[in-house]
Amino acid sequence: MRDLQLSLNQTQRVRLEAALHELQSLAPAAAAAAAVTVADTIPVNDEDNILKGHGTSDQDGEVVATLCGVVERVNKLVYVRTLRARYKPEVGDIIVGRVIEIAPKRWRLEINFSQDAVLMLSSMSLPDGIQRRRTAVDELNMRSIFEENDVICAEVRGFQHDGSLHLQARSQKYGKLERGQLLIVPAYLVKRRKQHFHHLERYDVDLILGCNGFIWVGEHVVVGENTDKTEVKPALSTEVENFTPLETRKHICRLANAVRVLSALGFTLTVELIIETAEASVSSNVEINAMLGAEFYVHTAEAEAKRRADLLRKKSGAR
Amino acid sequence: MVGLSEGEKHFIRGGIAQDLRADGRRRLQFRSVSVETGVIPQANGSARVRLGATEVIASVKAELGKPSILHPDKGKVSIFVDCSPTAAPMFEGRGSEELSTELSVALQRCLLGGKSGAGAVIDLSSLIVVDGKVCWDLYIDGLVISSDGNLLDALASAIKVALSDTGIPKVNVSLSAATDEEPEVDVSDEEFVQFDTSSVPVIVTLTKVGKDYIVDATSEEESQMSSAVSVSVNRHGKICGLTKRGGAGLDPSVIFDMISVAKHVSQQFLSLLDSEIASAEAAE
Repeated sequence: MRDLQLSLNQTQRVRLEAALHELQSLAPAAAAAAAVTVADTIPVNDEDNILKGHGTSDQDGEVVATLCGVVERVNKLVYVRTLRARYKPEVGDIIVGRVIEIAPKRWRLEINFSQDAVLMLSSMSLPDGIQRRRTAVDELNMRSIFEENDVICAEVRGFQHDGSLHLQARSQKYGKLERGQLLIVPAYLVKRRKQHFHHLERYDVDLILGCNGFIWVGEHVVVGENTDKTEVKPALSTEVENFTPLETRKHICRLANAVRVLSALGFTLTVELIIETAEASVSSNVEINAMLGAEFYVHTAEAEAKRRADLLRKKSGAR
Repeated sequence: MVGLSEGEKHFIRGGIAQDLRADGRRRLQFRSVSVETGVIPQANGSARVRLGATEVIASVKAELGKPSILHPDKGKVSIFVDCSPTAAPMFEGRGSEELSTELSVALQRCLLGGKSGAGAVIDLSSLIVVDGKVCWDLYIDGLVISSDGNLLDALASAIKVALSDTGIPKVNVSLSAATDEEPEVDVSDEEFVQFDTSSVPVIVTLTKVGKDYIVDATSEEESQMSSAVSVSVNRHGKICGLTKRGGAGLDPSVIFDMISVAKHVSQQFLSLLDSEIASAEAAE
């Protein structure tokens, strides 16, 4: 995701700095203590027995960080985890990926990981829905299920012994994503939650937050609809009637721009925050296009600072 | 460039047909433009223009040289474009040659006028120092740093701003030189001559997708184009250059329509650029 290039005038710059400063001060102190930059010393209790992991190095008997990030300790292992690292998959993660290659009995997907993920033909439910053994005919018809450059939603099934990532898309809610747009944000902004599929009824929009940082915003597709996979591509005239209705499209664009602004600001993406940002733009009568402008950027930063301050006050007030 | 699935392409085409593109713009709306001058201190003039995620740098260097024998009273200007591999992996090595040549030729046609220098945006006679012996050679270089569609428009506006930022040093010619010898020239370090860039045109590219045209296409939208017409218009509404890309044929009436739309859009873009140039000059 390319950062938004914004030219802020003087007042906007001042406001933005004030908002970011407030957010910084609201962050819990413990988190700040664990953050290190290059050449910071990492405090360790037992110098002799610890294992120095990634991002650390031994300098003059001290453990020194070689990366900027957060110090993690697991038993005797001390390492530095960077924030903007590539996505680190775990079993059960919901991810969104793009098909880059069709190989024998499998599809290869790009998911912003160090390797391409693999979706086996046997891990994909067939279009006719019957549970059966995949035959050679199925293998020849793989392209009718997913083609190159298709956007797919799947779940991480596990790692193979050689380190490659295997996915599965057996359930009806996984599969090809059409009629929408794909946004790419840094993977660390999407935290693991209970739900990653969000159907926003008010807007009739599907929002899928992939743990790998690929976010899909698109028209709502009814799960379980048996689409006829063998239909011929529609002619141009019928395609025109087939376009997404304008109202839904407006909502999709607003949500997509909300995601763009929030990722440019570096805020963790949650459904509530995205919806709130989109609603704020509607209530302030900001044009969809102007959501990517400097004024809304600063406004969103201030709104988030205020929201976190209120949350903190409520928490400390409730105690 | 990353490929797009059929569903995404359908979505983009639908957006253009309904006048609501992926980032909320209308069909004839530009992305936000940001302009910086003086980014290359060693050059006589330079500018960086950001059009959304597309980023280009233009620099103008002036060197003393000999005028051509055919036109002893005119200086020389040359324009070259280079695409940096930071913009896209395919630009590494010779991968960008085709695109760079295409962009350079299009810019040369719009800005440099005919073979004799007629119609060029910079008055070539103003570049002459000593008739037949010494003249200024202007080398205008464009560098594409980040490519997200609409490179031609970005480069043309960067060149316009860079020319407005350019200062050619004043030259004092010693009068005692004989007619055959090379005259002595003293290049001043203090005094500079600025160009008048009010007549430099700007390029507006109209990309045709389906039945409609859009201005300032992103690279995703450009992948859906059937054809694109780039029109170079100056402040007086005169057309200084015209390029058509893309394999699909266009009806002549469509071309006329596109030209009039481009004229209309370019006036807004020109005034936006002029105000940015003025604010950059004021900031210095």
